[in-house]
Amino acid sequence: MLVGSGRYRLVLALLAAGLVASMLLAVGVGAVEISPGSALRLVAWKLGLVDRPDVPRSTEVILFQLRLPRVGLAVLVGLALATSGALFQGLFRNPLADPAIIGVSSGAALGAIVVIVLGGGALLGGLGVSVAAFVGAMLTAFFVYRLARVGPTVHVATLLLAGIAVAAVISAVMSLVMSFAGEEIRSIYFWLLGGLSARGWTAVEVVAPLVALGVLGSLVLIRDLNSVALGEERAAQLGVDVDGFKWRAVALGALLAGAAVSVSGVIGFVGLMTPHLLRLVVGADHRRLLPAVLLAGPMFLVLADLVSRVAIAPQELPLGAVTALVGGPFFLVLLRRERRGAGAPA
Amino acid sequence: MPPPEPLLALEGVTAGYGGAPAALRDVSLQVRPGEVVGLVGPNGSGKTTLVRVASRALRPKTGRVLVVGRDPYRTPGRELARLVAVVPQDVLPAFSFTALEMVLMGRTPYRSAWGGGSPEDWARARAAMAAASVQHLADRPLEELSGGERQRVILAQALAQDAPVLLLDEPTSHLDVRHVVEVLAIVRRLAEREGTAVLAVLHDLNIASIGCDRLVVLDGGAVVAEGEPVTVLTEGLLREVYGIEADVLVDDATGRPSVRLGAPRAVGPPLGRRAHVVGGAGRGAPLLRRLGEAGYEVSVGILHASDTDHAAAERLNLVRVSVPPFSTIDPDSAAACRALMESADLLVVCDAPFGPGNVENLRLALAAASKGVPTVLLEQEPIAERDFTGGEATELWNALRRIARVATSYEELAASAAG
Repeated sequence: MLVGSGRYRLVLALLAAGLVASMLLAVGVGAVEISPGSALRLVAWKLGLVDRPDVPRSTEVILFQLRLPRVGLAVLVGLALATSGALFQGLFRNPLADPAIIGVSSGAALGAIVVIVLGGGALLGGLGVSVAAFVGAMLTAFFVYRLARVGPTVHVATLLLAGIAVAAVISAVMSLVMSFAGEEIRSIYFWLLGGLSARGWTAVEVVAPLVALGVLGSLVLIRDLNSVALGEERAAQLGVDVDGFKWRAVALGALLAGAAVSVSGVIGFVGLMTPHLLRLVVGADHRRLLPAVLLAGPMFLVLADLVSRVAIAPQELPLGAVTALVGGPFFLVLLRRERRGAGAPA
Repeated sequence: MPPPEPLLALEGVTAGYGGAPAALRDVSLQVRPGEVVGLVGPNGSGKTTLVRVASRALRPKTGRVLVVGRDPYRTPGRELARLVAVVPQDVLPAFSFTALEMVLMGRTPYRSAWGGGSPEDWARARAAMAAASVQHLADRPLEELSGGERQRVILAQALAQDAPVLLLDEPTSHLDVRHVVEVLAIVRRLAEREGTAVLAVLHDLNIASIGCDRLVVLDGGAVVAEGEPVTVLTEGLLREVYGIEADVLVDDATGRPSVRLGAPRAVGPPLGRRAHVVGGAGRGAPLLRRLGEAGYEVSVGILHASDTDHAAAERLNLVRVSVPPFSTIDPDSAAACRALMESADLLVVCDAPFGPGNVENLRLALAAASKGVPTVLLEQEPIAERDFTGGEATELWNALRRIARVATSYEELAASAAG
């Protein structure tokens, strides 16, 4: 009746179709066009389902070596950011929370920048920057969490303030480090603005398990996310282990955000906007919200990445700028509509 | 026949917050299956603390609590939530949930971590909604409902927990009389049909009288009377516990007493009285206007000029003592404020955070209170969480607490100031 209502199923179906369509579009559009049919047949061939379709070898290479890993990465990063946003919004009981809120993004950025400046980008098979970013994100999250913990309890307001303060300190350190940067400054800026270019399958393979772990873990928190939205004391009255919940939510949110930021740089708005927007469509119950978020987050990021790639081709726009430019106005329009609609029967 | 075992029992419970004097002192009470027990008493008498102790939110210092024969503090939260359900004063969800979603959350202690709810969960949620007469509201967002509907949805959420013990924490504080009577009628039916043990914190003595089998009266954290309404609600008790002159009439048909208030002696304080507010961090702002409305001239201080309370005092053009932002309090300001405090008719100390920059306020307040200035402390948050002096503020606060009245909300404080 609730989870399985017809309208909700329709929304999920539309989102799923939208995700598939945007992925097909994204692998198809570029300097070499690949039709959806060819793309699908090539993938089916790779999976051993059909004979090799009659397409040039170059198309095959472009699809499998360039476009698919990039779209795959966009899907993973979209999943991670949107899920992490939903977790933090639930934890902080605030629809304006996002993955950057506990300092994860700035910690990751600092890690990445230090490695870039020290010239360690080529370490660990080219993943030096990603690994440093991930480590930076995790350390920051852990540090912020410890700051906010008194005995067994974490005060959510303190967590928020500690996150903001730590992020501010890290920004200052980052500025210092950047002042020592020479020609690396361009790659630093590009990293700070976010992007998925030239990552390849390695990044996908590294990030996929982390995102899978984070998403599956988040699904287990769904029930408690609902109760905690009523306030911590009420959640405890309903039998929720509130301290345990907070610990898990922070850990999973940080894991997801750290995984995303380590391969894509800092991309804003996805984590903030996706859950908020879907709440307007499917309601606030996390059992309905989270599945929708899992489809919409990747779709949004795949499309945004497509725009960043083709808008001024062969140049690329920074992905973080695209998500903000596309997402911002859209978000504002929705907010206006939501406010006007308030008070009208649902 | 011996009476059935109580489902909820407190035995010699003493409990409180931090180093403050105990909010509950040696309280014992029992609620048996099918019984509706009303917990009454003036503001600050420990009613809500008792509910928190019984629902595993505040561990007693001494004595013990038994819920269905088990110690809640040794029972996992999930299991306990199947034994005892609380109806809080209000619930403010962070997101817009529908009534049905709210009620289904009452099934949290039975549900798997992410499943959609078993048929049993749905059936129980539906039954709870029917019992609370909110079926027709299922798909409406909570924030669109009226106060009475909203309270019934929250009641249904608690009923969906299917617990043998139900605690109502002043479920009726902002409801019309009609809704209060409805809520009580619903829980009475539940007690009769299911044998639920109900403990209800109630404000209105007449409602408590008609709605409850027994009343327990708390005053100053201790049980001062207990028994059937007709034996408990007496003119003497009203005078001693509530400080009011009233007639108690007993209805011949029902045997239930009702309270008829005498004419009020005076409404509000006479003009020309002044209240001095020690605020900070915006904690005083909501009071300034209320005290003004209650007929007081209001002075404030000592505040930092950057404080929200200072801005509020400026807007209301109140007498105020202030020092520059981030400075400590200088002797001249302290002397000026001391004079204001000691000549005030009422001194209100808000639960601001206290650090080295403003702890002087507590010293001044303690001095004034010791000289007999009537003093009320606002304590929505324990001092331990607002003490940034390393203990001095806590000591001063607790010293104040011993000689001052304590209010736990702005409403309570305003009521206390008006009386």
